[in-house]
Amino acid sequence: MTKLLMNRRRFLHGTALGAAALASPAYLRHGMAQTGGEVNIWTYNNFVPDAFKTQFESETGIKVNIRLVDDQGKQFNLLAAEQPNPTVDILTVAGHRYLQFIDSDLLAPMDTGRLSNWGNINPVFSESDWGTIKDQKWGAPILSGAEVLAYNTEVVSEEEALSWDTLFADKYSQQTAYILQDMMSVLMLARGYDGNMIEYMNDEAEAARIMTEMRDYLIAQKPKVRKYYDGGAEVQQMFVNQDIVLAHAWNGPIATLITDGFPVAMTIPKEGSYGFVYTMNIAKGAPNADNAYLFLNALLSSPEIGANLSRSSGFISTFKDVDQHLTEIERKATSFPEEQLAGLQFFRAEANEMKYRLMDPAVEQIKAA
Amino acid sequence: MTRNTRILMQCIYWAFVLYLLVPLFLMMLMGFKDSKFIGFPIRSWTLDWYLGVFNDTAVVQALGYSAVIAVVSTAIALFMGTWIAVALTGRSFWGRAIILGLTLLPAVIPGVISAIAFRIAARVVGMEPGMWAIIWSHAIHNVPFVVLVVMARLSTLPKSYGEAARDLGADPIITFFRVTLPYLTPAMIGGGVFCMLLSFDDFVRSFFLGGYEPTLPVLIFAKLRSGMSPEINAISTIVLVLTALLGLWAERSMRGMSKRAAND
Amino acid sequence: MTLSNAPGKADRPGFWGRLSGFGPYAALTEVLFASPRRQFLVLLTIPVIWVFVTHLGPILQMLNVSLLTNYPPSPNKVPSYTLEHYGKFFTEGIFITPFIRTMVFSTVLTLTTLIIMYPVAYFLARHVPRNRQMLFLMLLLIPFWVGEVVRIFAMMILLGNNGALNLVLQFLGLTERPIPFMYTGFSLSAGIIYLTALYMLMPLYSALEKIPANYSEAAADLGAGPWTRFRRITLPLSLEGIASGCTLVFLISTGMYATPVLLGGPSTTLFSEVIAGFFHVAGDQWPVGAAFSCIMLLTALAVSGGFNKIMGHLAGRVKK
Repeated sequence: MTKLLMNRRRFLHGTALGAAALASPAYLRHGMAQTGGEVNIWTYNNFVPDAFKTQFESETGIKVNIRLVDDQGKQFNLLAAEQPNPTVDILTVAGHRYLQFIDSDLLAPMDTGRLSNWGNINPVFSESDWGTIKDQKWGAPILSGAEVLAYNTEVVSEEEALSWDTLFADKYSQQTAYILQDMMSVLMLARGYDGNMIEYMNDEAEAARIMTEMRDYLIAQKPKVRKYYDGGAEVQQMFVNQDIVLAHAWNGPIATLITDGFPVAMTIPKEGSYGFVYTMNIAKGAPNADNAYLFLNALLSSPEIGANLSRSSGFISTFKDVDQHLTEIERKATSFPEEQLAGLQFFRAEANEMKYRLMDPAVEQIKAA
Repeated sequence: MTRNTRILMQCIYWAFVLYLLVPLFLMMLMGFKDSKFIGFPIRSWTLDWYLGVFNDTAVVQALGYSAVIAVVSTAIALFMGTWIAVALTGRSFWGRAIILGLTLLPAVIPGVISAIAFRIAARVVGMEPGMWAIIWSHAIHNVPFVVLVVMARLSTLPKSYGEAARDLGADPIITFFRVTLPYLTPAMIGGGVFCMLLSFDDFVRSFFLGGYEPTLPVLIFAKLRSGMSPEINAISTIVLVLTALLGLWAERSMRGMSKRAAND
Repeated sequence: MTLSNAPGKADRPGFWGRLSGFGPYAALTEVLFASPRRQFLVLLTIPVIWVFVTHLGPILQMLNVSLLTNYPPSPNKVPSYTLEHYGKFFTEGIFITPFIRTMVFSTVLTLTTLIIMYPVAYFLARHVPRNRQMLFLMLLLIPFWVGEVVRIFAMMILLGNNGALNLVLQFLGLTERPIPFMYTGFSLSAGIIYLTALYMLMPLYSALEKIPANYSEAAADLGAGPWTRFRRITLPLSLEGIASGCTLVFLISTGMYATPVLLGGPSTTLFSEVIAGFFHVAGDQWPVGAAFSCIMLLTALAVSGGFNKIMGHLAGRVKK
């Protein structure tokens, strides 16, 4: 994705990396005389760099409270349980949950006019059609991920890893793992269907038929899979322990393995794949909405912060000009060749209600088979 | 018991200890690995993860926070659990089964559900998310464990003990403190250890009822998202060593106490 | 514990003696303990209040959610009451399998834990000198101060294809290629027994610890063999411990989540995972999750209630 991030405008930066560089620019030149107060943020570990937080606090007098979240489902449940008076101002939502948060009326529309640094986001992410729901923007993209095929380079060749079919090859029987739900979407795409199921919104019979086809295929492949997993830490450990040599995964956890020097690589196979975006959103009824806008604008102000986000998560930064702030291996771990990127499309959530109504029982049946 | 069965049981005991300790030994070892992931082979070693724990104020704070929550919630659970056990043991009355059933319920409700229910209930009564909300939910969740353990012990308390005390003119409160409570002490220590463990390891309730300060499990889960690192192993090892030292100290002082009691 | 330290305010005017001689205290106890009936009511009031206020609240909330058409509340759907989520369990066959699997699994697991832990507890309570018992017990307790998830990952690097066990086996030349231990029934049981052992150990230990050694000796003098002594004396006297240990382990194992998810294989889905799915994966299906939880809750309580009834019956027979 590095290529996609290339753009015309260039800013002046120091060349130093990491936390030291974060402490340089003044985020809020005109915001020095702020009223203080606080801003409450729900996010993942390391998503808000300490140095940035400290500087933001000292420049604005706004106290930043961070609540660490580890899972989108729990975050959704917590926010729902807090309605109608949430304690949170900004929360981090993953792409597949985006519409669910909006539909449940948990987010406030984002007034991008209040974010002077909105233009620092690569338009591929900030202006894409998935992000605009009900004619409004709801979040600021900060990171992007993709469903990839990851492989142990000492066992599997790159040519083999260019097709999703290898995941089901007899040769690698009992050495593969995947996330069932995600695998079903990807498999639909690989078989020439619409994995977002938007094409079948008016033809539920067809959608059900496709879902059954996928289900039966995965049931037939079940003897060959080592593990249906859920979390990034699991797939990393399975690769390290050599329990598997091939897996469907999100690029973030795999990128972290690559930067740590483990012999693993990933591709976006030739049949194509789906991508998703992490956004920072303002909660509906946020108690400190003004401070939240101030914070987001500061967060978007510099590519170093984008690079830091990318480094700590392994996902691809949505900020312009992050490349120069990443090391060689970090750049490699967060980029794909252009011909592979061409096969990547974003998850769309319009048909999710029908899709998951069909998929959830199918997943149960695969597990029970 | 014959000699052979005794030796057999001894072997089972030590095999079981081995089974418990080998994974922990691996955990300690991995804290020295110079990599972001645990696992073999270990190509280079480092002390940074262990040293880093002490410099990481977030970890130290979370540890203290979890310890306070564990101690206070255990105290509440022990008090309530023992009381309930005393009230329910050795009596049969209408509604006893209902009360016993209700008492055990919190232990069986899936964590997510009870956590969400507590969260909603806390809002209804106007309790702010934070330390006291966590303590409250932990105490409620742990009461059943105390009740079960204490009831098991209490049911074996010979009736003659209490009767003798009453014959000597002690009222029920004094009888409880001088006779029942000493008899229950081992069970209460056992129940207390359960509670501390459950509280110290609880993630779901702490997450839903906590505020912006993480308990240790919440912090560890957040860190786990970027992979199971030697750092998490180092943190856990240090917690383990600290509690082991604390346990050894408690064991020594308890032995001292019982010696003195024997000499009286 | 002997009767010598039972209270006697006449010969020992200690704290308790002075307390019972203290006017207001005496007056208070006079009122509180006037009759056994009143004494009983005083004793019961606080537990009843606590149980009904704190334990019942969350349950009612769950029951309420399980009957709603949609929850959490959303602006475009007004919730109404329905029983369909309970029906879903019985009409859609796919949920029955994990449910039955969970019940069978928990039962087998409880028995296995009992069989493993009984000798351990017995050894600890009967063969370890009294002043060493705490130390030996602590050796078993300390591992539990490490969080569940951290322990599970330690188990993974022990059992993985490139894990410690396989490395040792290969080094010793016992096997050419790594044996896949992980994501099998083996790794799952190894992980779960680690988790439940403690809850079996403590009640068993405290039951066995208080059986007087001279009972067994007396029986031996009467010519009873070791097996008879165990069956007629030790086992019956430890029934209470067995009952509460089994109840604890059973209740805990029906609700277990992280361990089966992380250590199990593709075909070992348990009911708690199904329930969690309604909350985590499909976040808007709380009512179904709550309804399923109610079903599991009732079943688990019924099973452990029935079990305790049987154990109580057995214990009653022994006493006669």
